[in-house]
Amino acid sequence: MNRHALITEKKGAGPEKSDQKAPPSPAPSPSAPITTLDSGLARIYTHLHPLLVLSLFFFRFQATVEDPVTTLTNGLAPLGILQIIYVVLCLPATGSSTPSSAAKPTPKPSRGKKTQAGKGDGGVAGRTVPAMLSHLLTTLLATPLLTIILILFGAPVTSKLWETLLCAAHMSALAIMPLVYVHGVDEGRWWEVASLMSPVDEVFGAAIGTMVGAWAGAVPIPLDWDREWQKWPVTIVTGAYMGWAVGKLLGGTLLRGKRIDLG
Amino acid sequence: MATLVIANLLIPAAVLTFAAGFFPYKPFLPGLAEHDVSERGEMPPAQFDKVILMVVDALRSDFVFGKSSGFKFTQSLIANGAALPFTAHATSPTVTMPRVKAITTGSIPSFLDVILNFAESDTTSTLAYQDTWLAQIKAKGGNLVMHGDDTWLKLFPETFYRADGTTSFFVSDFTEVDNNVTRHVPDELRANDWNALIMHYLGLDHIGHKAGPLSPNMIPKQQEMDGIVQQIFEAIENDPHLQSTLLVLCGDHGMTDGGNHGGSAPGETSPALVFISPKFKSISTGLDSPVEPHQDFDFYTKVEQSDIVPTIAGLLGLPVSLNNLGVFISELLPLWKNERHHVLLLLNNVWQMHTLVKTAFPHEAYEHPYSQLDCSDPSSSGMKLVCKWRRITDIIRVSDGREPAPPVILPALIDFCKSAQEIMSSTASNYNMAYLLSGIALAFLSVALTTTSARSIIFRLNAASLYFGLVLVLYGILMFASSYVEEEHHFWYWTTCGWIALLCLQTLLGSYIKREGISKTIFKAAALLLFHRLVRAWNQTGQKHSGEPDFVTSFLLPNPHTVWILVGVTYFMLSLSLGSHLCRHIPPTYHVLTHIAAAGIAIPAFIFKLSFTARDAPEIVRPVVGESGMRVLEGLSLVLIARAVFLLCALGTVWVISLEVWGRSPAKRNAPRGVELFDALHAILSIFLITQTRAHNVPLFLLFSLQFLCLRDALGLQSTQTQITISTLLFAHTSFFALGNTNAISSIDLSNAYNGVAGYDVGVVGLLVFLSNWSGPVWWAWGGICLLASQGALFGYLALQTLFIAGSLLAIMVACTALRTHLFIWTVFSPKYLYAMAWSLGWHLLVCCYGLGAIWWAMGVS
Ligand SMILES: [Zn+2]
Ligand SMILES: [Zn+2]
Repeated sequence: MNRHALITEKKGAGPEKSDQKAPPSPAPSPSAPITTLDSGLARIYTHLHPLLVLSLFFFRFQATVEDPVTTLTNGLAPLGILQIIYVVLCLPATGSSTPSSAAKPTPKPSRGKKTQAGKGDGGVAGRTVPAMLSHLLTTLLATPLLTIILILFGAPVTSKLWETLLCAAHMSALAIMPLVYVHGVDEGRWWEVASLMSPVDEVFGAAIGTMVGAWAGAVPIPLDWDREWQKWPVTIVTGAYMGWAVGKLLGGTLLRGKRIDLG
Repeated sequence: MATLVIANLLIPAAVLTFAAGFFPYKPFLPGLAEHDVSERGEMPPAQFDKVILMVVDALRSDFVFGKSSGFKFTQSLIANGAALPFTAHATSPTVTMPRVKAITTGSIPSFLDVILNFAESDTTSTLAYQDTWLAQIKAKGGNLVMHGDDTWLKLFPETFYRADGTTSFFVSDFTEVDNNVTRHVPDELRANDWNALIMHYLGLDHIGHKAGPLSPNMIPKQQEMDGIVQQIFEAIENDPHLQSTLLVLCGDHGMTDGGNHGGSAPGETSPALVFISPKFKSISTGLDSPVEPHQDFDFYTKVEQSDIVPTIAGLLGLPVSLNNLGVFISELLPLWKNERHHVLLLLNNVWQMHTLVKTAFPHEAYEHPYSQLDCSDPSSSGMKLVCKWRRITDIIRVSDGREPAPPVILPALIDFCKSAQEIMSSTASNYNMAYLLSGIALAFLSVALTTTSARSIIFRLNAASLYFGLVLVLYGILMFASSYVEEEHHFWYWTTCGWIALLCLQTLLGSYIKREGISKTIFKAAALLLFHRLVRAWNQTGQKHSGEPDFVTSFLLPNPHTVWILVGVTYFMLSLSLGSHLCRHIPPTYHVLTHIAAAGIAIPAFIFKLSFTARDAPEIVRPVVGESGMRVLEGLSLVLIARAVFLLCALGTVWVISLEVWGRSPAKRNAPRGVELFDALHAILSIFLITQTRAHNVPLFLLFSLQFLCLRDALGLQSTQTQITISTLLFAHTSFFALGNTNAISSIDLSNAYNGVAGYDVGVVGLLVFLSNWSGPVWWAWGGICLLASQGALFGYLALQTLFIAGSLLAIMVACTALRTHLFIWTVFSPKYLYAMAWSLGWHLLVCCYGLGAIWWAMGVS
């Protein structure tokens, strides 16, 4: 298996699962990877999306270096809108194969059906509501959890808390929000994701990429280059964005359908 | 297996071969310099007949010359011309012993002297048989007197006519060490039997180590030192027998803003140097004082520390010491009214230095002043010096037998001296490339042998072995980046986080398949991460942010009660753990007695910690035990309690092992031996290691124990050798830095080096230094052994760890060789190599391989 996935995914594991205490009900039968919607627009936008997000980030990079708190705060809304557009246009909503549960995500024991995702049930407007719901859910739940994980991984505690919190918010918008959109609150699917049993697809790949990228982003901080951009949390956020893009690309193409083997 | 043993034997061979080439033992010219009047003409007349050298340890330039200095009297002398101020550049390593060598011999001590600084009684480091200005005074029949730091007594055994040495043992001692010196001053000023009086004050250095240069004790200490300058100066002015006495006030090195020294930051390399005598008023009208520095800590004229040697020699009319690389300080030349004497002084200096240069860069032009020499474009350093020498001989030749005019020849003389000083001090030319390359080849061979013998484990291509590869390769790359060598802790903290996450995911995968224990796994991983986060917040380490607040300085030290509660809990848990391990072999009726016996080891250890800390850091003991408690604690004999603790630990070990061998109950006789035995020994080892640890770091061992329990649980029974090896390596390195260590010489903690040692024994003190600085890694090494003991397979562990140690050594050796002309070679890479030596020889070979041997033995017994 690819080294990347093997070595380093870790943060992705923490956040989603800790809020569910019960043991998983599902049998560990493998589920299939998420397929992007079958419309022409979806196929184009799914490749356009990373370019938009990355250029939005790098366009504001200098400002991020100069004033991380303001810039990252202002960047949250555009990122959220782009991500909502992306999931609405390209991804099957949770349980989308069963029309009744399109808007209100419910635990769904029947997985595997999602594989034929993408009839576009409910239309774009109908999918926007779950998209916004998942964005809200992610921001409320995943951001504090990711903040705690960032601190456990070494983020400063006595200072720069806002920076860390915003870093976590960006990471959850990138990595967790699409996961929530496609998996809803299906406990079984989440356990699968958490223990990396889930097959790689562009959503899962992007999530892993974000976490690994954020982790690798810590490397340049101690170097004595004395550059402004080495300050917290610029490298972490940059790493997360780049890891997200790489993970999304690889997960959607080369590594699609593969499984991560930690043996 | 045999290949692996050979690979391990190659490690010390590689380390020592490389060290021999990297830290060349500098040959010095033996004997004493003599002035041959028939060959080199008369000596310039002496200006002084007595010298008082007052060394104030860590006296940074701004402490004397700056605006907020306490040296008001000295500053008034500078202003009226009776004192000539300089900033004396001290080369790295800025620790006391090499600096004293530079002040007395004028040579630039090699890095080897740092090791010898910690093994001071080594005879090769004594200066008794080297040429120093002290030896020159003695050769002329003069008497030497010394009061203060006993480094001088170790460096100059049987040299002093009268001496009172003080040991720099507890840095909390700000007053005793100095009063010990000061009480001799009035008598010595009255006595008329000495020619050189050396005083070395340690208090200011101790204040720096304890609380930094801004400590409230700093200014009073400076005023105290200034008062002594005043006392001496007034005696010189008034006492006829002292009228031609020179007072030299200097620091041996400076200090950083954190109060430490050893490296080459501007603060550390800029001690003050002041020549004081009423006679200087004739050549100086005074300088502004106090002043602002030109930059950093550069006040007034900057000279080299070794320049003190030829200058004192000239002022006292002595020949310049043979191995001197200093240049006579030209600001003092006007003391001689006759300009001929200026030339003679510098000629002596040049003549002495050219003898050294000749030895280092032999060239026929030194013997044949008329030979052909092309100086249009001197390429090598040796050629540059030959050409500067030729310039001098040419001037003398054209003057045709008469003495050349001073203004003509003086610049050439000074130019030669300064260039020789610069070139000879830079050590780049001194490496022995053959040794360096053989060391690298041996290390490479060790890596290759390990890889072949363990290829089945290394190339298994699972997540753990890939992570191992990532750690090794990244570590190797980082060794080439000076900033990462300084901030190495970040690497280990970072990789440990990743490893905990990976372990968590691996375990989750297993739990997911079995559909149980998922939340337990997550809880354990979170606990491991939380403890790891606490561990890394404990001590601020590294260079960049040294001295910034951390958990210890901002929380523990202001709350002494918390410190002692945590320390007490740590000892209690260890005692409990040892007791319960022992109870397994003992009938229930005796369990209470067994626990009491276990406490019999922990309680004396705790009393030792209290009593030691009462002297080492009284401020965190006094609020807890009160004044009367302090008196009791200070009355205890540290050496005796330490010996009792060590003896009890040894007895405990014997007890545990004999219970294991003979005391097994018949029911358990067939149960696998090992895990419990090693756990019990781990508890005893912890008590010993904590004895070697400062009080505020003791609770870290409690955190280590918690981490260890989580880790053992997380690894579970089906842990692989690869997982155990990686965990041991990562947690051992993390603990090393978390305890406050760095890759710089200045952070080596010597405070626990003399526990239980009454006299001086290089072997024992060296071992205690190692154990007190590597207490965390040794603890985790044994933790790894405990994990392995349940598993039984040693080969993979030994193979992977050997691969890591040999691989990292190889990287460091290549980095040191490739960057040997780099600016940071002496400040960053050489210390790192010394640390790598300790890791590979001490930690890997001594501790880990010893532990593996113990398991092997235990398996054999059962
Ligand atoms: Zn010193
Ligand atoms: Zn010191």
